[in-house]
Amino acid sequence: MLPWLVKRLLMLVPVFLAVSVVIFSILHFIPGDPIDNLLKIGSSPEARAEMEVRYGLDKPLPVQYGIWLGNVLQGDLGTAIVARRPVADLIAQALPHSLRLGGLALLFSTVVGVVLGVVAALNRDRWPDRAIMGGVLVGSTMPSFWLGLILILIFSVSLGWFPVSGARGWQSLVLPVLTIGLGGMALVARITRVSMIEASGRDFVTLLHAKGLSPLRIQLRHVLRHALIPVVTILALRIGWILGGAVTVEVVFARPGLGTLLIKSLSQHDYPVVQACLLMLAMAVMLGTLLGDILQALMDPRVRAALS
Amino acid sequence: MTLSFRKSFLAASVSLAALFSAQTLAAQEAVFVIGTAEVGAPTYNPIKATMLNTATALIFDRMVSQAADLSYHPWLAESWEEAADGMSWTFKLKEGVTFHNGEPFNADTVKAWIELFKTTEGENAYMAEAIASVEVVDASTVKFVMSRPEPNLLYNLSSTFMSVVEPKSFAALGDNYGVTEVYGTGPYKLESFAVGQETVLVRNEDYKWGPAVAANAGPAKVERLTFREIPEDSTAFLELKTGGVDFLLSVPADLMGEVQKEANLAVLTMAGQDVWYMPINVTKAPFDDIRVREAAAKAINQEEILASVFGGVGAVADTFLISALPESKVADSAKIKFDPARANALLDEAGWAMGDGGVRMKDGQPLKVTLWTQSDSIFRRLTEVVQAQLKAVGIEAEITTFDSSMIRDQYKTGEQQLAVRSYNWDNADIVDWFFGGDRLGYPNVSMYNDPKAEELRTAAMTGAKNMDERVANFTAYHEYVLTQFPMAPIYQPVQAFAYNTDRLSLPATINAPSFGTAAFMDLEVKE
Repeated sequence: MLPWLVKRLLMLVPVFLAVSVVIFSILHFIPGDPIDNLLKIGSSPEARAEMEVRYGLDKPLPVQYGIWLGNVLQGDLGTAIVARRPVADLIAQALPHSLRLGGLALLFSTVVGVVLGVVAALNRDRWPDRAIMGGVLVGSTMPSFWLGLILILIFSVSLGWFPVSGARGWQSLVLPVLTIGLGGMALVARITRVSMIEASGRDFVTLLHAKGLSPLRIQLRHVLRHALIPVVTILALRIGWILGGAVTVEVVFARPGLGTLLIKSLSQHDYPVVQACLLMLAMAVMLGTLLGDILQALMDPRVRAALS
Repeated sequence: MTLSFRKSFLAASVSLAALFSAQTLAAQEAVFVIGTAEVGAPTYNPIKATMLNTATALIFDRMVSQAADLSYHPWLAESWEEAADGMSWTFKLKEGVTFHNGEPFNADTVKAWIELFKTTEGENAYMAEAIASVEVVDASTVKFVMSRPEPNLLYNLSSTFMSVVEPKSFAALGDNYGVTEVYGTGPYKLESFAVGQETVLVRNEDYKWGPAVAANAGPAKVERLTFREIPEDSTAFLELKTGGVDFLLSVPADLMGEVQKEANLAVLTMAGQDVWYMPINVTKAPFDDIRVREAAAKAINQEEILASVFGGVGAVADTFLISALPESKVADSAKIKFDPARANALLDEAGWAMGDGGVRMKDGQPLKVTLWTQSDSIFRRLTEVVQAQLKAVGIEAEITTFDSSMIRDQYKTGEQQLAVRSYNWDNADIVDWFFGGDRLGYPNVSMYNDPKAEELRTAAMTGAKNMDERVANFTAYHEYVLTQFPMAPIYQPVQAFAYNTDRLSLPATINAPSFGTAAFMDLEVKE
């Protein structure tokens, strides 16, 4: 197991480097630069050149990349050019909000998704199955930006149950969590249902039935365990996507977080902040994938055996 | 038993009392939504910041205040005097003013504060750049010794970037000044600040030195102010509609109608600081011919745009500056107004004869030009109207839309012919910014570089010894630029705000250029 894990971790290094190159270069290919946002009306053209030197923007791109990567590897994310504060401070302020939102959305989509998937599988081709799968189809196809606005219109404007926006108290978390979580819930429900149905047809289930165990017990204790392996993998993969998906949702609900920070910095071309935000999101995807692999290994005796 | 009963009784009465006090507190509280352009301001440090929000103007005071007509009035400076040669300014300071941390405000603090501009890393040093040194005459008198005359000094001193900070805590707090703690002399103290989320201010009970332009010298009438940051206009509007907030510090034109539909909401408008205009690239044919430029400029029907695109809200622009500025008062002949007869005559004279399909032709070539605009919907709508108005005199303009955050880089290519854009500024030096010969591409979208204009520009920017001279020089520079038609002025919007009329009562008149300190001093919450 250990050598496998080490190998798996080492594989992350080239991936990280490739991601860092992409993050750094796409940003610099977008027209515009942060100096435009810093220049005050009335400042002289020489002031512009001075600023480029001060922020290291006059150096060739590969050199700028080298300096940035070197600093990042030493844990230094730099100082925001437009915001004029250490990037680490800005991230530290934003990240907990995104993690709370993303974590709750993940929890919601897992719990509700698995329950719905199991209910659908147990009632295969009967009305509860049809109702759940119909709802799932709607849930998974709705863009989150639009879904967020619809939820605001229904639950905040018409019913007045939850605040329209902001990050004050648990009430303000309900609608954003639903907005992000519904898509994931639909996915989890679908996968749970399919793999439950698939696992029910396996030989060991026939054996359990032959041993005289109650069908419900077989489904919940034995079939579900098998069925959850792909669900766990998908969930781990979604960790990164949920943080990324929070970007638009944070903007719609005016919540602080990595998404709002990213959008704001992007419009100001504040390179160090955008790079740090994208790096965080990319790392979340990478670590989520790794976690998925590890969990799968731990849960599936066959994979475990193959590794040791 | 008795004890636990007493305990719970006590607890109940305490929480009841808390409930009541919370209610009286709620009545004294107002929730504002910061304008979308100011969302995400990362600090309340005016010396380092590149962007400051409205709440900054309540934490700090400034030396001078500005009235709605852009004239200057006392604030922390009771009076001032400028030397005849412009090489020194003497300010008499208000006495009895203290900072939120108890430090006194006096001549020494002013000296220490001005020196911060020279010693602090940042982009705001230019604000105090013309001040060579500050002499403490006595405890309440300071003399600024200038390195050159700076007739714009009072304007700088009225800007939020020249908010008077408390120098001792500024030095002690370092990077945390303006983030975790901040001390000014303003009518409100900072209670909490979460970047990009909200700022809570509490009333400064000792405040009695409000700006001369406010009716109430202090303390302010509302006890607590919360400033929320909402990046989406539509979300902010829904918050206002559902009673989550009381006041929006910016309302886009397309939401004004929605606000007016609600019985308990109202729109407040103040004179704007924006000008919408059509830059004309003087280096690109056919606009290298001044007659074609004048024709294009005079084809723009400002009245029709005001009525059809902006619903009559705002005012037409016929110079490059907002009407409140004295430098906008140019000779009537220099003003650029809709004149289709003159436009047609000029095009005929320039050899562009009306051809088939309403497009003018010269040497077999149609009069086809490009018209650039940015992606925001209001720009696209306005640009389509401009396109139709140009077509009416036989100029066929093809619209190209660029993303708002990227269009500046497109201008730097110098490939533009016509464009529709806007700026926000309340000082005549904007003429230098957009038409200075050394900033071609962007900001000088018109690529305008004219020797006579450069001469007038130098006189306007650095040649004046006092304010009257500066106004005269800038008026002359502005007037000359207008007669060369490097752009066509279009429209001056208003600043629009929306508020809940059940919750807030606003002062009848706000004698200030924007909804700032003066307005907040006189603002009341309805019981």
